[in-house]
Amino acid sequence: MIEIDQLTKQFGDLRAVADISLTVPAGEFFVILGPNAAGKTTTIKVMAGLMKPTSGSVRICGFDIGSSPIEARRRMAYVPDFPFLYDKLTPTEFFQFTGKLFGMEDGAMQAEAERLTGRFNLGEFLTKPIEDLSHGTKQRVAIVSALMHSPEVVVFDEPMVGLDPHHTRVLKDILREQADAGVTVFVSTHQLSVAEEMADRIGIMHQGRLVAVGSHEELQAANRDNRLESIFLALTTDNA
Amino acid sequence: MNGAKPIPHWRLLAGVNHMQNWRRLKSAVARSRLHASLMGLFVVGYAWLAYWLFHKGLQFTSGFPGLGPVLIERMMFLLFAFLFLLLLLSNVIINFTNLFRNKETQFLLSLPVPRQVVYRWKVFESGILASWAFLFLIAPLVAAYGAIYNAPWHFYLVTPLFVALFVVLPAILGSWAALGLARWVDRLAFQVAVVLAVIVLIVVASSWLQPETVTDEMLETRVLDVVDRLLARTRFSLFPFLPSYWVSSGITQWVEGALMGTFFFGLVLLSHTLFFGYLASTRTGGIFYGALSAVNSRGGGTAVGWKFWKHKPALGQAAFTPRLLDRLAKLLWWGRGDTRALIVKDIRTFWRDATQWGQSLILLGLLIAYIVNLRHFSHRLTSDFWIDLTSYLNLGACALNLATLTTRFVFPQISLEGKRIWIIGMAPLGMRRTLMAKFLFSTAVSMGVTMALVGASCAMLSIPPGRVLYFTLTIGVMAFTLNALAVGLGAVYPNFREDNPSKIVSGFGGTLCLVLSFLYIVGMLSLMAATSRWAFGGSSTVLFWLGWAVFLGGSFLLGWLPLRAGIRKMASVEI
Repeated sequence: MIEIDQLTKQFGDLRAVADISLTVPAGEFFVILGPNAAGKTTTIKVMAGLMKPTSGSVRICGFDIGSSPIEARRRMAYVPDFPFLYDKLTPTEFFQFTGKLFGMEDGAMQAEAERLTGRFNLGEFLTKPIEDLSHGTKQRVAIVSALMHSPEVVVFDEPMVGLDPHHTRVLKDILREQADAGVTVFVSTHQLSVAEEMADRIGIMHQGRLVAVGSHEELQAANRDNRLESIFLALTTDNA
Repeated sequence: MNGAKPIPHWRLLAGVNHMQNWRRLKSAVARSRLHASLMGLFVVGYAWLAYWLFHKGLQFTSGFPGLGPVLIERMMFLLFAFLFLLLLLSNVIINFTNLFRNKETQFLLSLPVPRQVVYRWKVFESGILASWAFLFLIAPLVAAYGAIYNAPWHFYLVTPLFVALFVVLPAILGSWAALGLARWVDRLAFQVAVVLAVIVLIVVASSWLQPETVTDEMLETRVLDVVDRLLARTRFSLFPFLPSYWVSSGITQWVEGALMGTFFFGLVLLSHTLFFGYLASTRTGGIFYGALSAVNSRGGGTAVGWKFWKHKPALGQAAFTPRLLDRLAKLLWWGRGDTRALIVKDIRTFWRDATQWGQSLILLGLLIAYIVNLRHFSHRLTSDFWIDLTSYLNLGACALNLATLTTRFVFPQISLEGKRIWIIGMAPLGMRRTLMAKFLFSTAVSMGVTMALVGASCAMLSIPPGRVLYFTLTIGVMAFTLNALAVGLGAVYPNFREDNPSKIVSGFGGTLCLVLSFLYIVGMLSLMAATSRWAFGGSSTVLFWLGWAVFLGGSFLLGWLPLRAGIRKMASVEI
């Protein structure tokens, strides 16, 4: 479960996130939408504990990310928009490293890695140095390494970028399965179709504020519009 | 999932980074055996040559009756005092990059790795990166010191131990300084602070290094008094609270056989290392996280007190109003608009990267401090031989400084365009003009600076105007060659995958550029001195002009050939 309470993040004079409160319960697939510079990535970075909030708090599975960061991160899978990977390691070595950082047993680590790499068709790349892999393949490696430790909360920032349609489908399926299994899934994307197809609830951010939250149907009803695209444009256009 | 006995994070990080670095080394050797051999040769050659020179120098100094041991001992104290200062500076810069601009740091902080562990690991890594080169440079001197005093074999075991304890202190203090800078100082404040620091350094060095007036009578009758006065300026190295004092005292006393003294200073060093080490490894994680968050949260904002410096945010078309740099660029009326735009872009990116221009400023600041002090030195130079020698050494110092700058800053320019090649390579400007614009701009800037510096140094030495012109023209030609070599080799050996200029320079092309630059300077300087009409006995007019012809021809070829190869390479470049 993710609990965001009156979160504000200021960059000098710029208020990137303004007083956001949101709860994403266990088992929910939540998609956050918003134009560029709406504050999505900043919100996610605060959730991941990479920066302190100016005010407010974020709790992951009941643990405050500021005061109990280890307990919170132990339960979370985070993939940023540009994930870091050790370029001289192979994917297998990278999975072993991250698995051990999460305290996984060797057997469980191997089983989970094999399962996920199989689904993401990473088999032929497992023994190649990461530096030789394409952008999309690196993205798949980052996703597998994040999901391996069976997290309770998944926070992905633009995870579909660089993935081909086949692996985008695989990722969507995996995330849906995770949510169905009780994992909290929080995904930021620019692809409205992902939100329409996958999300239990959708949040729309604009200029640091959460301007709309609800299921697709609720947003349609509230805005008297059937298309998410026109709802999104209406809510995020400055003169709206 | 958490049933296994957890492996300490420290061990995991050490293991993964060791594996990374080992593979990096192996792939570098496999990629270019010539480069690896060249580097190996340089390491062995430097160690041998430096040891030999230091040994000769110390032997010569120790030969002064009564004074030799005093001078050598003071030199050891000075060596470690300056080493401490340099390590501190190096640790501040590397820690700042490693703690706040490093992708691995951000990655680790998003995992269940305690902030304290991340901080500890990064300080350890930075300490090694900041120290190894300095230790490599001074090792032959310390070895020669031991050899001169016939130190027992255990001296060579104890000294590394002392030095290992010693380097921990600047590493920790440097990391704390980096935390303070990150937490409280923004980029603009940092830029202003560095400029002020360099100005203060020049002023202090200029006034501190005033010469002592010594008469012949004093040299004959009051030698100890004279030496004492000369050494007074170095007394700061004997300040007992400096860590360098403890390590120097320990090492010098070990050589003298005063083992109890060494033991005492060893314990002082150990206790401080343990105390500060304990604080750093157990109590700084939270402060580090606060500083990192401040850096990540700074964005376009400015620290309090600096807002009046900052350009007001522009609205609409006002954002495109030409700034001072754009207006200055228009003064280059003969240049094409796109070339001027490229130059303006290069200046802006250079200025906004404080580590880039900070290093150039420090190098130039030291050179200016040295040249300013020549005015005192020149009064002591009564013999033509010493004036000639000093003027050629000045030329060498300026040229070597320039070679360091061209290799460090000009060589990586083309590689750094790699990820932006879609703009520049596709534009009508073309890669050939890009290359030439970079070459002409860097040459014009470095020619202006070095010709002014050499001219000033000649004036300080009260050299006749004809010779001032000679030295100024010589450095001007060298500036042309060194820039052409750096730009040309930078294009022949580009590294489009790397964003970090210092990593680009450490590749084969960068090493080749540095080695060729140094060989060129040493060769041409020797030629110019040997064929000089006035210096070192003087040569004939024919030889003088022949020397100039060889110098000009050699300089042209060494600059033009790599530049032409670079242009050809750029014409067919594939990213």
